[in-house]
Amino acid sequence: MTILAIPHGQRLPLGIAALAFVFLGLFLIYPLVNVFGASFLDAEGTSLTFANYTRMLGRPFYRAAITNTLEIGVAATLITTVLAVPFAFALARLPIPGKAAILALASLPLILPSFVSAYALVLLLGRSGIVTQWLQAHGIGFGSIYGMGGIVAVYALTLYPYVLLPAIAAFKAIDVSMEEAAQSLGSSPGRTVWTVTLPIVLPAILAGGLLVFIETLENFGVPFVLAEDMPIFAVEAFKLFIGETAPNPSQAGVLGVLLILTTTAVLLVQRRFLGRRRFATSARQAPPLLKVGRGVQAAATVYCWAVVILALVPFFSIVVLSFMEFRGPVLHPHFSLDNFAFLFDRALRPLVNTLMFATAAALCVTIVGVPVGYVVTRYRSGVASLLDVVATLPFAVAGTVLAIGFIVSFNAGALVLTGGPLILVLAYTVRKVPFAVRSSSAIVHQIDASLEEASISLGRSPLQTFLRIVVPLMLGGILSGMVLSWVTVASELSATIVLYSGPWSTLTVVMFQALESGGAGIATAAASFLIVVSLLPIALLYRLVRRYELS
Amino acid sequence: MSGIVIAGASRTFGTVRAVDGVDLTVEQGEFFTLLGPSGCGKTTLLRMIAGFCELDAGEIRFGERRIDRLPAHVRDIGMVFQNYAVFPTLSVAGNVAYGLKARNVAAAEIATRVEEALAMVQLAGYGGRLPHELSGGQLQRVAIARALVIRPHVLLFDEPLSNLDARLRVSMRAEIRALQKSLGITAIYVTHDQEEAMSVSDRIALMNHGRLEQVGVPVDIYRKPATRFAAEFMGTTNLVQARALGLAAPVWVSLRPEALRFAEEAPAGWPHLPGVVVGIEMLGPISRLDVRIGNGAILKMVLLDAPGQIVREGQIVTLAYDSSRLTVVS
Repeated sequence: MTILAIPHGQRLPLGIAALAFVFLGLFLIYPLVNVFGASFLDAEGTSLTFANYTRMLGRPFYRAAITNTLEIGVAATLITTVLAVPFAFALARLPIPGKAAILALASLPLILPSFVSAYALVLLLGRSGIVTQWLQAHGIGFGSIYGMGGIVAVYALTLYPYVLLPAIAAFKAIDVSMEEAAQSLGSSPGRTVWTVTLPIVLPAILAGGLLVFIETLENFGVPFVLAEDMPIFAVEAFKLFIGETAPNPSQAGVLGVLLILTTTAVLLVQRRFLGRRRFATSARQAPPLLKVGRGVQAAATVYCWAVVILALVPFFSIVVLSFMEFRGPVLHPHFSLDNFAFLFDRALRPLVNTLMFATAAALCVTIVGVPVGYVVTRYRSGVASLLDVVATLPFAVAGTVLAIGFIVSFNAGALVLTGGPLILVLAYTVRKVPFAVRSSSAIVHQIDASLEEASISLGRSPLQTFLRIVVPLMLGGILSGMVLSWVTVASELSATIVLYSGPWSTLTVVMFQALESGGAGIATAAASFLIVVSLLPIALLYRLVRRYELS
Repeated sequence: MSGIVIAGASRTFGTVRAVDGVDLTVEQGEFFTLLGPSGCGKTTLLRMIAGFCELDAGEIRFGERRIDRLPAHVRDIGMVFQNYAVFPTLSVAGNVAYGLKARNVAAAEIATRVEEALAMVQLAGYGGRLPHELSGGQLQRVAIARALVIRPHVLLFDEPLSNLDARLRVSMRAEIRALQKSLGITAIYVTHDQEEAMSVSDRIALMNHGRLEQVGVPVDIYRKPATRFAAEFMGTTNLVQARALGLAAPVWVSLRPEALRFAEEAPAGWPHLPGVVVGIEMLGPISRLDVRIGNGAILKMVLLDAPGQIVREGQIVTLAYDSSRLTVVS
């Protein structure tokens, strides 16, 4: 088929799809194929074998890694859901003071690095934690925060917005006449919530819960800080890879493949099962607030504020701690700027790197994600749905695994990237593409296709139309998507820790190393800096959007 | 300049033949309407002309020039969309200037032509407004000005009035027709509303299941529907077997309600039919009656309101019909 045989209307989307396939093929599929390949190669790297799998799965340690990870994932998902659903219902349907503030604060854990929360927990409640010592001085002891309990707690407090936000939206989208119908048929308000309201919002809750589950499977930083000697999937893959001296990372590959298969299975369940179970409700306006007694109102208010504040305490305390004096790991409760002086003195380069990488990656993610999001939304064809699947795939790939694939793929041969900064930017870009695609696709859904047809029939080519009509309409969404990518890349740990080399380390690496060597002071300063760096652009964006909306 | 020729145009979506071998010629300067129920293929055909839908077979020509293989943006078409499709990020003037800028028209000329076009649609002085400050009717005027200003070979209207309220629809359709006639631009207009189609069109193509059912001037299609579908779609009618009216031929005929009267008010020579009133609907200026005739068929008829007129359900009546208005339908 020559290019001339392609209908004119298909040339732009096919061109975009072709470029995206080249990019994702090279920096996503090729590295993953290499990880898969490595897991099936024998020690000499010459013949295919299942031996790696049987060997790894035969060892109780790695079997434990699998069961631990799954147990933690299930526990965290359940607790998160139980925590978030009543919260969402209260925010959507009950009279609670300070709703806007609660909502803003509740979204923060999504953009703050979760391992900072874990690290704060160690600083406060760890074996030699500040609170622990104070309590011990008063003769009070408590259980260990290391291991499953601590990990699940951190996940629940940092991941609950994944369930909360869609659940609020679902509770608000309910057509109140359905509830009224139930009540007119004789159902009590309580029974109505249970039999009508909850089943309608269930798909949204489950979708959020699955996101939480996948996040826990892939997370590297939290278990690294809190697991101690408990084996966890993503951490063990990293340790195996770093420990392996041979060029063939077969054992890390096995764990990587198993991890990808698990997350892919969960994603497929989500798509297949939930895709068909979306209940269209046609609410013309948000349902009215329920009338409840003062007691219920007070309890709901306390509950919502307690969850929000509890989730933010670790971040807040680490900022406070960063302004105190540390001698080694030991805290001295005086105000001091030494940690920051130390940070800017010793880690200025990683700090600058972090900002540079985040900016470069945010730009790349936007350039890749926005056109792809446009194509997968506007064009219904086999190519577009394949592109959709491929562009969603990074979501199922843990950062550690992708990074291992990058090292295996780009440390020799035609394209050598290891040892430089580009490999980090590319890995970040691939990891964040699904988010950019999702958010652009959501905006394109809002744009009437006839606007584009109007522009084309007035004489602008499809490409010009995309740039002149579609992009300006998407601008607000593109900007906020960029800021989100920027913020999440700045605190990326799992791929960074595998890929960085020499001078190209980042703030998260500095924290990671400080954690291992007991340099708590510089770690708190780095964490504070990351928190500020995450919140500042969000606050700026919020103001910008507000001003834009007001004008 | 010459008209538009569509020859053998076909398009299949899955198993549905959306447009099935359509042959049409639209004359230069004609106001031509594609009329039909939803899913009849009228919008698909319009989008084929605009370039947003490819043909599986057949061709479309503007005069001698074949255009169905050209990309949409070089076809020189002004299209007016159902939902206006006014660019929300551009001012009214910016919207109208959009196609001129795409054609690299000089800035000074753009300014004068935009002013002219806005004046034509009675929006002079609105150039600086943003779309969200305008009403639905005004937005549709902007969309029309934007399509007119490029002086396109053809104006395409895709149900342009269906988002407006009933009163505005009536005044806008007259305006659209007047504008089109004064500019002499060929127009192809899609609608599912037969009254709208009759009021604006020079000719109508009635479509059903992707095919042309009947093409002609509005009054002909109304008075001489070729098929049962055409008879029913163009307005209320009585479709009965000729035998029920006392005729010998084994055919179906269409008889409009206004061709029926009570025998005592009918001109001499109209055939009579005995019947009984089985339903009355008083609508103000007119009343609609259902009358059951001899063989059990029910005929719809219309009465103009008159003082002292009393018709009751169950009343035995004698109808008369104008046999010159009987149409045999296939």
